[in-house]
Amino acid sequence: MVFKAKRRTVVTTAAAVVVLLVAALVVTVFTHGNSSSASDDGNMVAYPAGHRPAAPDFAATSLTGAPINFASYRGKIVVLNVWGSWCAPCVGEGQTLKYLDEEYGPKGIAFLGDDIQDTPADALAFLRSAGITYPSVNDANGAVEQRLAIAVPISATPTTLVIDKTGHVAGVIEGAVTYPDMTTLLNDAAVTQ
Amino acid sequence: MSVNAGLAHVSTDFMIAALLIYSLALLAFAGDYAFGRPRRRAAMLAAKPAADRAAQLATVGAAPASATPAGVVVDGPESGASESNEAQGPGSNATAPAAAAGPGNPIGGAAARPVRPAGAFRAIAEAGPWVRAAATLSAIGILAHVIAVTTRGFAVHRAPWGDMYEFITALTCVAAIFFYYILVKYRAWAIGVFVMGAIVIALGLAETLIYTPAGPLVPALQSYWLSIHVTAMTLSSGIFFVAAVLGIMYIVAERYRKRVAAGKAEPNPLLDRIPSGAQLDKLTYRAVVFGFPIWTFGVMAGAIWADQAWGRYWGWDPVETWAFITWVIYAAYLHARATGGWRGIRSHYIQLLGFASLLTNIFVIQIFVTGLHSYAGVQ
Amino acid sequence: MTDVHSTTSKAAPASEAADLDREATRPFGTGPAEAAESGSGGAPGGSATGAGWGRWAWRQLTSMRTALILLFLLALGSVPGSILPQQGSDPASVTQYFTSHPALAPWLNRLGLFNVFAAPWFAAIYILLFASLVGCVVPRTFKLVGSARTPPPRAPRNLTRLPQSVTYPSALPPDAAVDAAATVLGGQRFRLRRPAAGDAGHWLAAEKGYLREVGNLLFHLSLLGVLLSIALGGLFGYKADELVTEGQTFSDTTAQLAEFHPGRLVSGSDLAQFSLTLDKFTANYINSGASIGQPAEFNANVSYTTTPGGATKTDSIQVNHPLSVDSVKVYLIGHGYAPEFTVRGRGGVAYQEATPFIPANTNTMLSDGVVKAPSASLGFEGVFVPTAYMAGGTTLESIFPAANNPEVSLIGYSGNLGLNSGAPQSIYQLDTSQMTEIAGGPHLMTPGSTWTLPGKLGSITYDGTKQWVSLAITYDPGQIPALVCGILAIAGLLLSFFVRRRRVFVRALPGPDGVGSVVTVGGLTRTDASGGFEDEFANLAVDIADASSPSSPSSPSSPTAGPAASDDHQKPEPNNQSETGA
Repeated sequence: MVFKAKRRTVVTTAAAVVVLLVAALVVTVFTHGNSSSASDDGNMVAYPAGHRPAAPDFAATSLTGAPINFASYRGKIVVLNVWGSWCAPCVGEGQTLKYLDEEYGPKGIAFLGDDIQDTPADALAFLRSAGITYPSVNDANGAVEQRLAIAVPISATPTTLVIDKTGHVAGVIEGAVTYPDMTTLLNDAAVTQ
Repeated sequence: MSVNAGLAHVSTDFMIAALLIYSLALLAFAGDYAFGRPRRRAAMLAAKPAADRAAQLATVGAAPASATPAGVVVDGPESGASESNEAQGPGSNATAPAAAAGPGNPIGGAAARPVRPAGAFRAIAEAGPWVRAAATLSAIGILAHVIAVTTRGFAVHRAPWGDMYEFITALTCVAAIFFYYILVKYRAWAIGVFVMGAIVIALGLAETLIYTPAGPLVPALQSYWLSIHVTAMTLSSGIFFVAAVLGIMYIVAERYRKRVAAGKAEPNPLLDRIPSGAQLDKLTYRAVVFGFPIWTFGVMAGAIWADQAWGRYWGWDPVETWAFITWVIYAAYLHARATGGWRGIRSHYIQLLGFASLLTNIFVIQIFVTGLHSYAGVQ
Repeated sequence: MTDVHSTTSKAAPASEAADLDREATRPFGTGPAEAAESGSGGAPGGSATGAGWGRWAWRQLTSMRTALILLFLLALGSVPGSILPQQGSDPASVTQYFTSHPALAPWLNRLGLFNVFAAPWFAAIYILLFASLVGCVVPRTFKLVGSARTPPPRAPRNLTRLPQSVTYPSALPPDAAVDAAATVLGGQRFRLRRPAAGDAGHWLAAEKGYLREVGNLLFHLSLLGVLLSIALGGLFGYKADELVTEGQTFSDTTAQLAEFHPGRLVSGSDLAQFSLTLDKFTANYINSGASIGQPAEFNANVSYTTTPGGATKTDSIQVNHPLSVDSVKVYLIGHGYAPEFTVRGRGGVAYQEATPFIPANTNTMLSDGVVKAPSASLGFEGVFVPTAYMAGGTTLESIFPAANNPEVSLIGYSGNLGLNSGAPQSIYQLDTSQMTEIAGGPHLMTPGSTWTLPGKLGSITYDGTKQWVSLAITYDPGQIPALVCGILAIAGLLLSFFVRRRRVFVRALPGPDGVGSVVTVGGLTRTDASGGFEDEFANLAVDIADASSPSSPSSPSSPTAGPAASDDHQKPEPNNQSETGA
């Protein structure tokens, strides 16, 4: 059979296109995963009871110098908010957290902040202007956040963990918290096996 | 440690001296090209018995008898046989019966025992006064050049290729040494005028246009990897420089010969004396074969150094990318030589494209494109 | 490099001698079937079946010409990646390109030219190239193994037709002369083949240089190894950046890192668990001579722990001297100044921090920065100069990169900084859209001075100056494999260039009057990249002749049949007869 040069070109081009599509598929599979950046409104992850990772205990100092021992929070539901005064979404969610503290604090839910990569002066100035009264860990060297990140994936700032009474993480919100998400998580956290 | 200004001046003086001596060597090569080679060829022909000569001319075949391009090896018409080699098959061993030791050896006689190849320096001595002068001057020039480069290194207490001026002067030094090596090994006197000419031009431009006073290195370059990576790039660039000159010679000669063969141009006595295409092709190939592994090693050493300095061994920095492009083009040249339809002049176009990419990397990308590699030191 | 598909054996008269010659001179490592193929490929067989097309397409892909074209495409495709700004290394320049070339930039973006090396079309080129490579290399590996098992071919009848040959008389009888040659060649580690028992002639075939093809294959396979190592790093490795001021600490977590680029299969919990403090950063500059202002040395003294709560170690990170922590490397990439400010508002101290300013000019270290004090509703844009000089009395410039005379010039704003909306903001930029400028700016300050803002808005004090460094943290499990493959690639390259596959044949015919013999030694080499076979052959010929202890040099020889050219084929210097198509 005699093959014309033109037909050969057509076949070659078609083959090239097929390979290109396959290559595109391969590349999209192997390209880098999601890079972290400033977070938007939250992804929520809830862990069902019995499948909750344990939250690590830690001993640290608050922004005012008072000691904080996380083990002493056992037996209460804890909202642990990782934040910094330099982080705009943290500033944005501040009002929501203050409101939640006022509503749920009297019901026995504890609120604790973890202030990372910040100076006490800046952080206290923010808390003062936001009217937040619950304590925050002075985590300028990031040690507490690192231990939290080992237990539970924390990808950006802010991140809020809800920890149940047995000291296990019931849920995580990445990014700024919203009132409905927090309410859901707090209800979930109340359920323990 | 501060720069030793006295040694830096010594370096510059020796560099200029090398330039002058190379220019004299260039004149000697030109003299040989114009006057020495025809005399040698005539002597060679006279020494052969007539029968042998007739036999040779008969088997030379397509090569024009009047303007047989003299071979690289010994300038005699025997290398014309190598050009039309493929047409004749391997039987045409119409090589110079005379050993490189010069005319006067018994030639054409039957049953002489095999003798070992004659020495190179004897060949230089026998090749005539122009070649002797050119070879001697080249050697002295290289010595001066090496002293210039090393004193610069001592002046700045580091390997003397830390900015563009130093890189170019070191590159031309490598090119000169490599040129001398193939001159001697392959008795390639005829390429002297072209390669030495290119070296003189390059070194002259470096001295006049991009001279940089000796100075210490920026911290990013303070690493022993400077000695390894830039040395390798300098070595391979110098070798590719020689290959490029030979490639230009090949293209010029081949196009000229094709036009003459087709009757479109008059034979030009100067161009006739360019060595045969097969010889130039062989020399170019051997030069690239030397340079390519060194370039590959240089790119790898650069990657190791980049990992030490910048945190990743390959980041597609513009200079890295162009070193990669250069590598790929030279790889294409090596593949072309083994691909039907791409041997010959096309492969030389590829090789010259590779050298153009190398020059682009040095003169365009390092200066005008911002990246991590902007250490040209050129103000 | 030898082309599998090239053909060099020319048409020869159909005779046994010619067959032997062809056998001896055909491309090494190929059989007659392959020798007949050409690089351009022909029609896919007699049928148009899918298998036929597939085979044809595969042959096209693995041909040398396709490899050549793909190499060109690879080089060409890399060019825009080096000239246009690339997303991966300089995203700010990409954005700038969009603003300066508003019409052209979107089209370039659609073609993927701002991220060339991650673009699918670039991947297609190198994937095709490597497919071609594998398709070529694997069959050749089998052929190499096969050829290593088959003995060298029989010696051709007429050795004078070989590219290199020499004929001389010998006093020994033919079989002894050939034995002597065998001793010499065997001593040089040639593989030998002698005629079978009952074969009439006295000849010897020798072959050497199989390492050449080994090197060739090793080189190409190592390139594949490099690609796989890069993929390994891309899947399991990660890169991160962080900016640390003197006195500050950070831990290696995704929340604390300024930038984090994980490989595809990497998650935050895979990060090494170290934390690092920048104790002190020193930058020394040359302060005299022609290179004044050029950096001489950078040194970051750090303390670090490898596990949370572990022992603290100290080290110094310099350019070219990264810190190795727990299989991760920390590199010193950049540096700058962080002037310390205290902002006081109505409620007290609203801000107290060393604020990183970003250098706008790395030669003079003139830097820009921003101070945000939302709880006092104040914001400041500032220019910091390490060695201040007022050019023309009005323009603040820096004339030396060291902090010999630091000054900062601030423009103040009061109002809503926009942080409450929760939308992310760069910490190096101030959104003044809802703010009003404070009168009195730009206000020049020296260390220790305070600017009391008008209207009881507050004050800002310039306390002192610290420095910051930017660190790159990288983890690449493919690094060592890539290095190993690179070394193997160079080894293979050297072998393939400097080892030559060559064959040497010896034939001895009975001499005139039945006394002694006439010995012909012939040799050829398939590819001789580095040259030198001519010299090697000439030396071998002399060694063999010496071993055959000849009679006086003047005794005549009976010329063997051959072309009119002289029988006396000594090769005292290299001749390119051997370049038969190589």
